[in-house]
Amino acid sequence: MVALVIVLALFFDFTNGFHDTANAMATPIATGALKPKTAVAIAASLNLVGAFLSTEVARTISGGLIREGDGGIQITPVMIFAGLIGATLWNMVTWFLGLPSSSSHALFGGLIGAAIVGAGFGSVDFAVLMSKVVLPALLAPLTAGLVAFLATKLAYSITKKRQRNGFKHGQVFTSSLVSLAHGTNDAQKTMGVITLTLIAGGFQATGSGPAFWVIAVCALAIALGTYTGGWRIIRTMGKGLTEIEPGQGFAAEASTAATILASSHLGFALSTTQVSSGSVIGTGIGRKGASVRWRTAGRIALGWLITIPAAGLVGALAALVASTGLVGILIDTVVAVGVIAAIFLYSRSNRVDARNVHDEPTVLVRPKKTRKQRQADAKKREAEAKLLEAEEWRRATEAERAVPHRTTENTDGAAS
Amino acid sequence: MIDWPAFFIVLVATLVSGCLVVTLYSLGLRLVDRATGWQRPLGIACFVASGLVVLYGVYLVIPYFHQ
Repeated sequence: MVALVIVLALFFDFTNGFHDTANAMATPIATGALKPKTAVAIAASLNLVGAFLSTEVARTISGGLIREGDGGIQITPVMIFAGLIGATLWNMVTWFLGLPSSSSHALFGGLIGAAIVGAGFGSVDFAVLMSKVVLPALLAPLTAGLVAFLATKLAYSITKKRQRNGFKHGQVFTSSLVSLAHGTNDAQKTMGVITLTLIAGGFQATGSGPAFWVIAVCALAIALGTYTGGWRIIRTMGKGLTEIEPGQGFAAEASTAATILASSHLGFALSTTQVSSGSVIGTGIGRKGASVRWRTAGRIALGWLITIPAAGLVGALAALVASTGLVGILIDTVVAVGVIAAIFLYSRSNRVDARNVHDEPTVLVRPKKTRKQRQADAKKREAEAKLLEAEEWRRATEAERAVPHRTTENTDGAAS
Repeated sequence: MIDWPAFFIVLVATLVSGCLVVTLYSLGLRLVDRATGWQRPLGIACFVASGLVVLYGVYLVIPYFHQ
């Protein structure tokens, strides 16, 4: 069981890596500051280095989200396993759709779902969920967007047009900083998960930090994932939201880095993905003549909204199946591997990689409608139909009214 | 619910640092381009200063330096 969780956790780390390459490298790739392959290589090595640099692991992976320990619930390896399945599957789905969604939120969502099934609704601290996850998710992109907007304005008012290519060189440094910051944050989560599992399985003393081999494999997994490059998401971020010029790229990355560093230094945990999406949108508003594709932005925001519930649902289902015992766990594993393989195979039919990452996205992020939306759509259609009906009825009665009027007119005309 | 004063500090810190890097780098680009006399060294100084801000970011990222 413990081995299974570790393998799954490493795979999650891998998906986390290729999901988040876009955060740092989408803009330099889009402006041509870095060649796509070079960019992912830099991001991968900085993630690797970053994972080793910061061994400051969050004491609890859930950050108080799930009431663990004394007076709370015991997190079991099975729960972590189910949560990881939810997180990993959701990451695969959003990657396939090219949606930059937060991997941390997917992990939280999966764990919450599994914990609810395993120990009831009381096991989740919804106040903490609100203040630590939901509100920062709103504030982070807004902050980054505002700063990126102002920074873009500044950059474009200070420099003249022919000087702006010089921003490309600066972009290399700012995007590297974002990559490094990402490495010091995200590999930590998986290390935390594995360490927690090892402790829960009795292989490690309670309260001890991650073993060296855990740090090493996590760093490698996230670096490998980053190097694979989530080209679909890179395309969405670099081309799908707005056209990015070097000056904008520089401004966006500077504000992404500033937001992440300021907030994590002052104790706010933010999602790198959401911060950098906010920056890209902000810089799109900031440059005259650039337009933001709000439809795409809306889809991304929708993706953020459903990340926690969706990953939670999958996590809950997986936990439900796994609770039946060994057979359930086996079923979970087989289904998860099957779904991942299916998504991967299906994705090959419209490949996105280093070669065609610059193409305009044709079929971009089109998340399937949730049931609520479908219901809302149906209601809307119904209302529209009613409106149409009313309109027709009004026209008909008007016509009816007009007919006698006209006839009188006619008779008048005939009379005169 | 949420620590608003802390969030405000984050906002201001982000605003100042983000805009500082971009302003310095932009000034550097402007001054170095077709520079005459005093402008060139000043432009390079701007680049160096923005680089230092980025390095401070690296310093913040690595907990080893400030523990």
